[in-house]
This record gives sequence, C-alpha cells and structure tokens, in this order.
Amino acid sequence: MLKLFPRVTLGLCCLGLISAAHAEIDVNDLVKESEKVAYYSGDDGRSDARMMIVDSQGRKQMRQFTILRKDVTDNGDQQMMVFFSRPSDVKDTVFRVEKHASLDQDDDRWLYLPALDLVKRISAGDKRTSFVGSHFFYEDVSGRAITEDSFVLEQETDTQYILKATPKKPDSVEFDYYRVSIDKTSKLPVLIDFFKGENDNYRRVEAVQIEEIQGFPTVVRSKVSDLTSGAYTLMEFRNISYDIGLDSDVFSERSLRNPPRQWLD
Amino acid sequence: MAKIAQKLVHFCTQKPKLIYGLVLVLALIFTAQIPRIQIDTDPENMLDAEHPARLFHNEVKKAFSMYDAIVVGVVDGQNEEDEELQKGVFTAKSLTDIYDITESILAIEGVVSADVMSISTVDNISQSAPGTISFEWMMNSPPTTDAQAQDIRNKLARLPLLQETLASQNGKAAAIYVPIYDKNESYNIAEQIRAEIAGLDGSAQWYITGLPVAEDQFGVEMFIQMGISAPLAGLTIFILLFLFFRNIPLIVAPMIVAMATVMITMGALIGAGFTVHIMSSMIAIFLMPIAVVDSVHILSEFSDRYKPGENLQSVIEEVVGHLFTPMLYTSITSSVGFYSLMLTPIPPVQIFGAFVGSGIILAFLITITFMPAYLSRMNQANLEKLQQVMHSENGGSKIAVFAKGLGRFALNNRILLLASFSAIFAVSVWGINQIQINDNPVRWFKQDHEIRVADTVLNNNFAGTYDAYIVLSNQNKFPQTSLLLEEAPESLNTWSASFIEENQSLSLNEQYQNLIIAIEDKLFDDINASEEAYLYKLLETVESQLSASKVFQSPELLAYISKLQTHLNSSGLVGKSNSLADVTKVVNRELRSGQQEDYQIPDSPQGVAQTLMQYQSSHRPDDLWHFVTPDYQKTLIWLQLTSGDNQDMTKVIESVNSFTQSNPLPENLELGWAGKAYLNVVWQDNMVAGMLDSLISAFVIVFIMMIVLFRSFVFGILAMLPLTLTITFIYGLIGIIGKDYDMPIAVLSALTLGLSVDFAIHFLERARETYQKTKDIKQTFDIMFDEPATAITRNALVIALGFTPLLFAPLVPYITVGVFLASIMAISALVTLLILPSVMTLAKRLVFGKSA
Repeated sequence: MLKLFPRVTLGLCCLGLISAAHAEIDVNDLVKESEKVAYYSGDDGRSDARMMIVDSQGRKQMRQFTILRKDVTDNGDQQMMVFFSRPSDVKDTVFRVEKHASLDQDDDRWLYLPALDLVKRISAGDKRTSFVGSHFFYEDVSGRAITEDSFVLEQETDTQYILKATPKKPDSVEFDYYRVSIDKTSKLPVLIDFFKGENDNYRRVEAVQIEEIQGFPTVVRSKVSDLTSGAYTLMEFRNISYDIGLDSDVFSERSLRNPPRQWLD
Repeated sequence: MAKIAQKLVHFCTQKPKLIYGLVLVLALIFTAQIPRIQIDTDPENMLDAEHPARLFHNEVKKAFSMYDAIVVGVVDGQNEEDEELQKGVFTAKSLTDIYDITESILAIEGVVSADVMSISTVDNISQSAPGTISFEWMMNSPPTTDAQAQDIRNKLARLPLLQETLASQNGKAAAIYVPIYDKNESYNIAEQIRAEIAGLDGSAQWYITGLPVAEDQFGVEMFIQMGISAPLAGLTIFILLFLFFRNIPLIVAPMIVAMATVMITMGALIGAGFTVHIMSSMIAIFLMPIAVVDSVHILSEFSDRYKPGENLQSVIEEVVGHLFTPMLYTSITSSVGFYSLMLTPIPPVQIFGAFVGSGIILAFLITITFMPAYLSRMNQANLEKLQQVMHSENGGSKIAVFAKGLGRFALNNRILLLASFSAIFAVSVWGINQIQINDNPVRWFKQDHEIRVADTVLNNNFAGTYDAYIVLSNQNKFPQTSLLLEEAPESLNTWSASFIEENQSLSLNEQYQNLIIAIEDKLFDDINASEEAYLYKLLETVESQLSASKVFQSPELLAYISKLQTHLNSSGLVGKSNSLADVTKVVNRELRSGQQEDYQIPDSPQGVAQTLMQYQSSHRPDDLWHFVTPDYQKTLIWLQLTSGDNQDMTKVIESVNSFTQSNPLPENLELGWAGKAYLNVVWQDNMVAGMLDSLISAFVIVFIMMIVLFRSFVFGILAMLPLTLTITFIYGLIGIIGKDYDMPIAVLSALTLGLSVDFAIHFLERARETYQKTKDIKQTFDIMFDEPATAITRNALVIALGFTPLLFAPLVPYITVGVFLASIMAISALVTLLILPSVMTLAKRLVFGKSA
C-alpha cells in the first residue's frame, strides 16, 4: 500500500563508507527494503485519506481524497491516481501519476480540474512543491527517486537504524541533508528530519501511527511539520486494502474524467 | 496669596541650604530614573492602542499573516550612456548578486524567511510546453549568461503580482521584501544586510528602506537630537544670559533652575513608565528656555532695584513678591497651553502636553524658592560687580536702546500700526484657509537622508513602497452547526450534544469541517437506517453550507474586486493593486492557453476553488493567505502607493468611496481599511480635529484667566490681542507659503498661545501699575519702554534663541518646531510692544478709565 510517506530513497550508498562496526548491515539492502515496505506493499492498493492542514495560527483546512496505486515492479515503476472528494468545491479533481524509478526518466503527472473541464499535464521539473497547499510535497506523494541521495548509517539503536542522506544534486532540493530513522522490525521509516546548513532542522516527517493491515505494516497517520512556523499537516488513512486487483484501465487518462466509482466509494 | 508668597520667600532667604538640599535630592531621585529610558518611534502609537482603526489594522495583519518589511532595492544603469551598462539589473552579474544577497538574508535571524519576496524566492507559473503547466522557482540558481537573465525578466513581466513589485517595468531595478518578526530588530537586520551588500563589487546601487528601518533610524537620531540639541539650548541660553547680566555667579542660578526642571520632569516621565516618543523627546528643549524666563524677570528687576548698601533680603523679598502674581499667571497660562494638548486624542501628544505643562509649574515653584535662596547667598563682591555692569551702562545697553526705540516708533505711528496689523490679520485669515493638511513620517528625514534617497529611488522605479489594504469581509451569518443539528433524531442527541459542546467555540468554517468529519465517523458506527438517512442528508447540508460560506470563491465578488482595481489603477492615484482576483486570473491563464484572452476569472466558485488549489501547489502555498483568509470570508486588496503623504492616501480613500457609491458593495460585504498609509491618515485627522479643540479651549481658558487676573474685560481682550495676531499671522503664513500643516505645526498652535500671552501679561500688569503711580499716560509709556520693555525683549530673545539649536537637529520635525517657536516668540514680543501701546493710548478712556 502506498503510504503517502516520503520515500526513503536509499541510493547506491557508498558502501565503503560504512564503518566496520556496522559491517553486518548492508545499507543498500536496508534502504531498499525500507522503500519496499513504505511504498510497494502488495501489488496494488487503495486508501481513503483525510488531510488536515493546520497553519501557524491553528487555522484548519480539510482535504479528502482516495488513492489508488498499482506497482509495475517492486521498487520500480508505479501507477497512481488521487481522486479528491472534499471540500466539495474541489470534488472530482484528479491527479494521475506514472512514476518512473529510473533516474533518467522523470515521472509523468497529469491533472484534471472538473469545474474548468480541463486535463493538464504537470511539468516534470520540480517535485518539491506543495501538494495542494499542504506541507506534503508532490515528491512525498509520488516518491523521491531512489538514486537521488547518498546514505550513510550514522547510528544503530535497539529499535532503529538512523541514516544520514545527502542529495546527489543539491541544486534540485531545498535541503542540505536529511536524517531518517528506520524501524528495525517493520523496516518502515518512522521519522525524517530535514536540515539546512549544519543543523537547522526546519522540516519533519513522521509516522504517528502504524498498524498491520493484511500483514503489511502500514502507516495510518502521518504528519509533516514546518518546524520554523509551527504549521503542520496531519494525514489519516482508512479503508486501506491491498491486492485488490486494480486493472490498468483504472490508471488511464480516461479515468480522469470518468472516475472508477467502484474503487472510490 | 501674596502673603503666602511673602512668607515663602522669606523662609527661602532664611534657609537657603535647606532649599538647596531639597532641589538636589529631588533632582537626584528623578535623574536616577533616566537610564530606564525606552524609545518609541512607531508612528502607529500616534493612535491609542485601543483605537478601532489600529485594532482593525492589527487584526488584518494577523488574519493575512503579514509582517512589517524591510525593502531592499537595487538599481543599475539608471543614468548610463553606455549601451552595455543600460542593461539594468537583468544581467548575469546583477542577478547573481541578488541571488547571493537573498541567500544571506534568508540566513539572518529574525527574518520571516518563508515570506521573503525576491526574484530567487518566488515561483514562476507558466506553460512549459503546450498543455503543460509548470511551477518552478523563478531563479533557482544564478544565471550564467545575460540571455538567461533577460529570460527571467520576461517571465516576471508575465506575472502581474510580481511585475513592478519585484522588478521595475524598465528593467533597471529589482527589489527584495524582507518581512521581519520583530520590528525592533530592523536596524540590526538592516545592518547585517548592509554588511553583505558592502561585499559586492558590481556597478549597481543598493538601497534599504521600509517603515521599520525608518522608525529604528528615527530612534537613533532622536537620541542624537536629545544629546545635542538640549545641551546646545542650555549653552545658548547661558551665553545670552551672560550677555545680559555679565555675571557668571548670578546667571548660574537660572541655569540650575532649568537643569533641575528638565531632569525632574524627564525623570518623572521615564519613571512613570512612559516611552519617549518623538514628542516627548522635545520636552527638554521646550522646558529649558521656558524655565529660565521667570528667573530672568527676577534677575532683571533685582539688578535694577538693588543698590549697594541696601538690605539684600528685603530687596529680594520685594522683587519676588512684586513679580509673584504675574509669574504665577504666566506660568499657569503657559501650562494651560500645554495641558490643552491633552484634549488631542493622540497619546504621545497628550503625554508631551501633560509633562511640559507640569514642568512649567515645577519651574515656577523652583524659581520662587531657589532664586531667593540663591540670591540671598550672593557675596558682596559679586553684587557690586553686577551693579557696575547694570548701572554703568545707564540704560545704554543695546537691548534697552532697542526697546526705547520701539516705544517711540509705536507711539508715533499708532494709526499706521493699527492699519497694518488689521491688514496683516485679514490676509492671514485668508492664508489660514489655504492651509494644506499633510504629513508623511518618511519626510521627517531630511531630503538628503539615506532613507529619503532610498524612498525616492524605489518609488520612482516601482509601483510604490507605501502599503494600504482594502479589506472586504463577509457579514452574512451562516447557520451555526447547533442549528443544523436541531432536527437530529433523538437517538443521536448525545452524539450531537457532545459535538456542539466540543466545537461551539471554533470558527464556523472549522465547525463545518469538523461536523463533516464527525458525521463520517458516525456513519462507520453501528447505526440504524433512519439515523443513516438523516446523517447523509445532514452531510449534504453541511457540505453545501461550507461551500456557501467561502464567499470569496464567488466569481461575481472577484469580478467586483477586479472592477474596483481597474477603477483605482486608472485613477492614477495608486501605483498598483494586487488581489485574489489577480491570483485567480494568472493561474487560470496558465492552466488554459497561457494567452491574454484567458486572463479571466473562472465562471463558477468551484472553478475558482480548483484554480486556487493549483496556486497552492507551488513552492509558496501560503502566499494565498495574504490575499484571503482560509475560510474565504475576508479578502484583502493590497494597494501599493508611491507616496506616503496623507493627502495622497486621502484621495485614494475618496476614490474608493466614489466607486462604491456608483457601484454599491455586494450584499453582506463590508469594506474596511488597514495599512500604515491609512493609519497615518487616521491619526492626522484626529490631530487636526483635536488640535482645534485644544486651541479653542486654551484660548477660552487663557482669556478667562486674563479677565480674572486684571479684573477687567478690556484688559482681558488686550492681553489676548497680540497672541491672536501672532498666531493668525504665523498660520496664515504657513497657508500662503504652502508649507504642509503637519504634526509639529499642529502641536505648536495651542502651546504658543500659552507662551506668547506672557509678554502681554507682564506689559499690561506693569503698565497699569505705573499708570496708577503716575496718573499720566505719556509718562507711563516712557517708563514702560524702559526696564519693563527691556525685560520683555530679553525674555523673548531667551526663548526664541533658546529654541534655535533645534535648527541643527538631524530630523525635520525638530527643525520645524525650532523655526516656528523662535519666530512665534520673537513676533509675539514685537507685536506686544507695538500693538498694545497703540491700542491703549488710542482707547485710553476705555483702558485707563474716564479720567485718562
């Protein structure tokens, strides 16, 4: 199941950097596994999401949508649809994403705005823009490419591995590095802190609640915080199911204007 | 009264050391408060903290997440002949500098980095390919070629919200808006930015302005003013007194009176917890000359009357006793002038009036106690020296000669003088009607001041650095959730009651959203069919209420806003306006063809909502909330003005009013104003109305006091005559020469009334007394133009010249005060000495009784 959770993109980490103390851990395998648990549970899945965007003054905006997801290959390409249901003035707005895992190929993204009766392609470019006004980025939805960062295992606790990730193309992102904590049992990333400069921790992504669904550890509540302003977005998932047999047609352009109702209600 | 005075003076001459001690202790106690000084330079404080306009302004700032901002401007190639240099700021070099400076600004503590507006921090929304919409940083990294830089210029030109705000039309200038959390940090932050700019090597000129910087700068220069002007005033007075009396031990006394008065008053102000505002920073320089005038009268008369060998004590007692009543009255009238300022609803002006008024009474008390004590301890040698100076000249001192000459002139040209004064008065009344009321805090700096220069340059290049906001709010009441839940089936009562209890304190928008969530959660519960039917129906109702309550998603309302903006833009009064309608149109254009024909508002609220959700999909999703609140119940139109003059802002308000008259506001909408440019208009209006109250009440009170003092209606009128002529003349002159009637000028009107009546009181009191002795009018005026006229002239010079150090102040309001007070004092003394003899001799029967 897609957890709408920032993918821990575990790059071809410089294995040589891993110290002897952690020799028994293959960082590459760890991050790959973590990514699979976070983004590729089952072959497909659905979930209803409710997002509460809370600004620094505590003012709230709600958004609700359903996410459908189908994997082409594990840790590889993916298809994804996001159908908005609330607030009612954005109802039936749809995002369609064709995710490409390869570094050389950008994701394809489309948008359907029913009130303007408009299908629009969204430019490949920058994916670290806000997802519909929330503190989640588009990239948090579609997944940050696996090869974009270099990982180093910094610390291992009883329950977690803590890795530091540095972007390979620093110009393409607003952070200088992030630090991710991966739960040893579930292999889910549970906390990601983003840093600017040496230690200005301005953004945090965290798994607030994890449940096991059809045997898959699943984040059912997650939170992204703007640590500078105190604003945050809380996301809750419900009606989660995996391996429901979604057809490729569901992810076609046709579905933008004609949503596959059977999977939505 | 006179008896008490006599006893007091007697006591003081007997116990001089006790008086010294008292004055010293008081001065020390209050001076000790001065280090706790807190400077306040915020023009907002011209309005009471609870003033509705100010409360609204602050509400608006909060609702739309706005902060005070420093404006950094960069200009290049403005005056260059060379074509290469005419490229302006859109070159690889200049944009790299802008990029680097922005990066360092973002790293400065206290900067609201998420809201910094710079070419490198904003998004470009465009069609990267046909049918493809793109949100990308306008300048993610510095351009490497000038062609790339030009490309950025072209992109900016397509975005009405940024063009003329971040980049000038001509491409010669760019700006960075730096919002800061705490405006008290603005000087600090501006200094850090200056340091970064100093490290650049390009040809571009950089400027820093914005109200917070101006305010902080003002505070710094206020300190300089107080540190320089007040001591300079003291020095000027000291030199004048020395020229008059040529006796340092003698003139030390008035200086001590002045110093003690200033220290105690300032100490009391600061100790009482008041901040030192632009007005109160002038207290010292006001009190200094006023505090010495009573002493000058005492010294004048003392040096005149005391002859070697006389009983020192009895001369002192005679002199002080003799001057007691006129000094008391002049002190009270002066303080009434200042106290009347408390009628003006502007807190800093009220505090200024209260403390100067009280300071004057204090100066009087110190004078009548300390002066006798001091004089009684003067040694014989000094007294003899004084006599030599005063009497050897035999009335030959220049001032005495001048006063005598004035007397001759006044008595020989009575008709001419009266005619001239009548003519001047008539012209002045006409002039007063020409007065232009106007102010602008940035103009408090001199023309060549860094802040003024930056202000001029930036406002020449951009749509304006002065902000005013029109806020439209929905007044329509949507049903509370408790109302929507009224028809709930009984079985759901507990559920609905607990919802209402948990949510009733929230905003309606959140109540609706939470109710939707609660209904959905409830639908998951084990519920029966009728409950389910009810909940689904309710869900529908709440959803439609939620949509309806977002009134500013309405295309009709956005169209109204657009129309208002078009009206304002075509009026030429506004540099530019930015609104939710502009945001909607830009995004709609890029979502559709990218062509001008699609620069439109979508035709349904859903269309607007979906367009705006795309706007939020940028790097700066929260920019939307500067134009509309998240519940879409309030929207803001940001007006950029190139002038902060109240007159210009007033014209904008009038223009909006005329628009709403011919295009009535849509139903249930309310229009309000906020922004600093608007607040300035509010306090200016308050000030003008308040000053008129102050002036009239001061006039009436002083007039009544004069009637009581002289126990004569005629003398009351005589006393008011010179100051009426003087004030009318000065304000007529202001109207005629076209000097703006601003804060310092307004403040001067009421207080000069109290000060300038002093001359008339002394003159009339002495004239009447002399006439009673001589019973001869000619002889009376001969005597009057001897010592009394000399004393009046001396005092006029002390006060007038005492204010002249203000001319060296770095800030314009102080200079204005200096020039006008000095001229008012000089002119009113002159008018007193010229007009009173003419009127008194021409109307002698009325003035001196039938026998005259």
